[in-house]
Amino acid sequence: MGIKVVGVNHRTAPLDVRERFAHGAHEVPGALARVMAAGASGGVLLSTCNRTEFYLVADDEPALEAVWSLLGERLPTGPSAEAGAREYGYIARDRDAVRHLYRVSSGLDSMILGESQIQGQVREAWEASRAQAGPVLHRLFQTALHVGSRVRTETGLGMGTASAASAGVAVAGKIFGDLAGRSALILGAGDMAELAATCLGDQGVQITLVANRTQERARAIAERLGGRAVSLEEAWPHFATTDIALCSTAAPHAVVTWERVGAVIGARRGKPLCILDLAVPRDVDPAIAQLENVFLYDIDDLQTVAAQATARRRDEIPAAERIVEEETDLFWAWYGGLGVVPTIKELRARMDAVRAAELERALRQLDHLTPDDRAQVEQFSQVLLNKFLHQPTTALKKAAEEGHGYGLLEAVRRLFGMEPPE
Amino acid sequence: MIVTLHLVALALYGLATALTLAPFIRFRPAPRALTIALPCAGAAVHVVAISQLTLIGLGPALSMLAFCLVLLQLASERLLRGAAVSFLAGPLATGLVGLALLSGLTPGADVAAGRNTWFVLHVALSVLGLALLALAFIAAALYLLQFRELKARRFGQIFQLFPPLERLDQLNRFALVAGFPALTLGVLLALGYGAQFSGGLHVAKAQIVWGIFTWVVLGWAVWVRVVRHWAGRRAALASIAGFSAVLLVYVALKLTQPGAERFL
Repeated sequence: MGIKVVGVNHRTAPLDVRERFAHGAHEVPGALARVMAAGASGGVLLSTCNRTEFYLVADDEPALEAVWSLLGERLPTGPSAEAGAREYGYIARDRDAVRHLYRVSSGLDSMILGESQIQGQVREAWEASRAQAGPVLHRLFQTALHVGSRVRTETGLGMGTASAASAGVAVAGKIFGDLAGRSALILGAGDMAELAATCLGDQGVQITLVANRTQERARAIAERLGGRAVSLEEAWPHFATTDIALCSTAAPHAVVTWERVGAVIGARRGKPLCILDLAVPRDVDPAIAQLENVFLYDIDDLQTVAAQATARRRDEIPAAERIVEEETDLFWAWYGGLGVVPTIKELRARMDAVRAAELERALRQLDHLTPDDRAQVEQFSQVLLNKFLHQPTTALKKAAEEGHGYGLLEAVRRLFGMEPPE
Repeated sequence: MIVTLHLVALALYGLATALTLAPFIRFRPAPRALTIALPCAGAAVHVVAISQLTLIGLGPALSMLAFCLVLLQLASERLLRGAAVSFLAGPLATGLVGLALLSGLTPGADVAAGRNTWFVLHVALSVLGLALLALAFIAAALYLLQFRELKARRFGQIFQLFPPLERLDQLNRFALVAGFPALTLGVLLALGYGAQFSGGLHVAKAQIVWGIFTWVVLGWAVWVRVVRHWAGRRAALASIAGFSAVLLVYVALKLTQPGAERFL
């Protein structure tokens, strides 16, 4: 038995594969139950848009096979599905598995370096799998959250914003402070518009309108984000009231022009308006930025903000990795020491039973010995046993202190024919 | 003892200011706990020093003003969730303590006034009012700097370290609206004290005229904020105009009519 992580992430699998492997919250108990039935004694399933990972306390086989099989079934490749899943995946064992989770929870393994959303996702995964996690994974996930917090408070890995969409949120935040309750209108209904609108929605911004040339697509996004779908022409008067305008249409020229919204924005009486123009070519006429209360940012501006944050975050990687390594050592020391004391006790008891049985057999054949002699022989057997067990006992204790106890423990149990630890 | 305590407070404020300004000269930002703990420790030492002062004369008044400013700085940083106010309040408070030490902390000639409740209230409210107006000025200055960076799409240290415009605007409004009545009441108490205990007002005509002028400018800044609902850049400029009037008139009177003051 050991700690394993098996799964796929944004580095090993393309988006369409990750989408197939992603497990909704309702699917987690069933998936874990299957892997547990294959021999794992503990399991947690972490499934986000960038990764699907099973954290297990298990032997390599057959629990890992169960995971590949489970994932393989989701691929549309028929009989070769199982091999296909394995192709996209990876396995990390023991100490590497611990380090992996710590790197995940601290954002070091994220697509956007240092992003903080993963911390909440790790917590949710742990809570959703709590019944199946078992004591080792329980401790592992608890400490992983602690590591994530440490990295974010002791280093600058989470500082700033590292994507254009989140940079837009950050810039709007520098104008309005708390974004909760602010209103936003979205022009365009593409993926970028949806992503940025979702980022705003996550901050509590109310998406009031989604305007697009194609009403159908606008309606779909509006429904998801809680707004109302309108045509572009209907959107212009709303520039008088909205706090944020997010523009990301596929138009080949500027659609938000001075003629369309200049007078409307003038009626805001100084109330600030943040316009995030994510479109290429740009949707917003740059002349609009001349209005005093208008803060206009195009994709280049937002990418500048994002790039600055990413560069700063990269500088923090060594400090974050040091924390991860430090915490991995601590966990491994705890994990290594888990079964040492009961194993030593069991080993001594077993050996003592053998000693007692052999002594009794020998003494039966040595009838002529006086009681003093018999006591001497018994004492001799005790001393001999202690001498034999001294080295294995101290080696086990030392290995436990150094975090290597678990491997040695398994060897001792195998050598002396003891049952595997719980 | 009073001087030693002021020196310790000065050192702590100075160190806190240096740490707060470090990111502007490309040093790593100091841990937030440290930039809060240092002025807190300074204020703790400072309050012990102030408790032993008689609040008469320029030195004690400047010391009290610096103390109020540090307290307001700490409170506003909690509101703004950032250390931006200390970029300006830190050097100002440190400078005021330094000036207090240079001008001497022994009380002025009229020591008995320091035991009069009217006088003590007059000093306390005036100093609090001035500190609040200084805070309004700082918030307005930070607002204008951040506004300029946001309009110019520059995303450097000011963008990163300064608070959002909206919060600076709120802080400016609060400090201005609270500071003006506090200062007005402080001045009224001075008039009451003069009439009751000092045998009339012993001030020059120029002080009265320019004092009224300052009050009108400050009153205008509050009026446009509260009645005309000015906000943002225009309100920040009005607030700066108000505090600048206080400063300019004070310095002008100080230069043209030295020694005509009671406590400042």
